[in-house]
Amino acid sequence: MRNLLRFIAQHHFLILFLIIESFSLFLFFSANPYQRVHFYIASHKISGRISTRIENIKDYLSLYKENQKLSEENSRLYNQAGSALSVMASDTGYIQDSLTHMKFRFLTARVINNTVNKQFNYLTLDRGGNTGIGPEMAVISGDGIVGIVKSVSPNYAAVLSVLNRDFMISAKIKKNGYFGPLSWNGNSTERATLVDIPHHVQVSTGDTIITSGYGGVFPEGFIIGTIDRFRLKGGNYYEITVKLSTDFRKLNNVQVIHNYAKTEIDSIENSVNQ
Amino acid sequence: MIRETAKYLFQFILLILAQVLIFNNIDFSGFINPYIYTLFILLLPFYLPNLVLLMSAFTLGLTIDLFMGTPGVHSSATLLMAFARPFVMSLYSPREGYQTGTYPRMAQFGTEWFVKYAVTLILLHHFTLFYLEVFTFHHFFSTFLRALLSSLLTSVLIIFSQFFIFRR
Repeated sequence: MRNLLRFIAQHHFLILFLIIESFSLFLFFSANPYQRVHFYIASHKISGRISTRIENIKDYLSLYKENQKLSEENSRLYNQAGSALSVMASDTGYIQDSLTHMKFRFLTARVINNTVNKQFNYLTLDRGGNTGIGPEMAVISGDGIVGIVKSVSPNYAAVLSVLNRDFMISAKIKKNGYFGPLSWNGNSTERATLVDIPHHVQVSTGDTIITSGYGGVFPEGFIIGTIDRFRLKGGNYYEITVKLSTDFRKLNNVQVIHNYAKTEIDSIENSVNQ
Repeated sequence: MIRETAKYLFQFILLILAQVLIFNNIDFSGFINPYIYTLFILLLPFYLPNLVLLMSAFTLGLTIDLFMGTPGVHSSATLLMAFARPFVMSLYSPREGYQTGTYPRMAQFGTEWFVKYAVTLILLHHFTLFYLEVFTFHHFFSTFLRALLSSLLTSVLIIFSQFFIFRR
C-alpha cells in the first residue's frame, strides 16, 4: 500500500495526464456521425451569433460577385424552366404537370458558417424548420451540389457538406448513365471520388458527373463536377477522381431542395427491404 | 497572485478570440491552418502545479473544440503538448537552470532558446492534431505536409508575436 502511494506520488504528473487525455480521446472516439452533428449544433449555439456577424461583413464584401453569379443562375433557370415539374405517367404518355403535382420545391438560404479544412465539415444555413427546411433535403448552389441537411432548429439548419467523410451520394456519368457511389476522401477541397464504375465503360477526362437521383435526396441531373483522373482499381472497377464544380470556399447563397416524393419513395423501398 | 491569474485569463480569452475570429478564417487552399492558441501553453509560468497546467490545457483545447465543432481533437493535442512542456524545458535548459521570477519569454532567454522551445512543442501539437483528425495513415504524406506547413506558419506567427505583444 505504501509502495503504491509512493508510486502514485512519484508519477502523479503522468497519471494525471493519462486520466485527462483518455477522457479527451474518449470524446473523440465516441463521436459517431449523429453525435458529431449535435456537437456541431451545440458549438454553433455558442459561436452562432459571432459567425452571423462575420458572415454579414463577408457578404457585403462579395456583393458584386454574388450578384453576378445570381443573375447568371437566373438566366440559366429561365432557359430550363419546367424542369422542376414532375413528369407524370398518364395513359397515353408523359405530361408535365405544373399545378397538382410539384415534385420539388426550391428554398433559398444563406450560408452563415462553413468550414473546409477539417475531415468532417459542416455548413450552417440561416433558415430552418420555420421556413420548411427539414432533415434529408438536398442543398445545391449555382455551381453544383453542396450537401445534405442533417438537422434543423427553428431558425438554422446544419448541413453535412460534400467535404465530409460521412457524405455519400449516388452519382452517374452523364454521357452513358453508369452510376456509383461518390464520396470525399478527405484530401482536397476540390476533389471527390466516384467508384464502382465497371471497367468496360468508356470514360475520359472532362466527362461530366451528375446526380443520379437515386436515394431521393438529390433530384436527377444536377452537376457534381468533371472527371479529373481515373484508374482501374483491382482490375474490374474504375476509381474516378472528380473535380467538384462547387467552390466550397466561396459559398454564399444556396438552394435547399424539398423532394415531395421522398417519403413515398422511402416507404415503398422500406416495404421491400423488410 | 490575483493580478497574475487575471493576466493569464485575459491572454486565454484574447488568444481564443484571435483563433476563432481571425485565424480560423484564414486558410490557404484548405491546406494550411495556423493554430496560434497554442501560444497560451508556451507562455504559462515555469513552476506551475501539474494539475493547473494540465487542466488549463484541457480547458483551452475543449474551448477551441467547442468553437470548431471537433469533439476531443484539439483538447487531446493540447494536453499532450502541455504534458511534454516540462520535458522540453529541461531539454533546452540553460546551464544555471530557470530562476524563479523569470518567465518563458524571448526577451528573457533569447531568440534561439525561444525558437527551439516553441517549434518543438508546436510540431508535437500540430502533428498530433492533424493525424488524430484524419485518423488514418492512408494519405500519410499529404497529412505530413499539411502538419509541417501549418506548424511553420504557426511558429512564424508566434515568434513574431513575441516582438509586438506578450513581451513580458
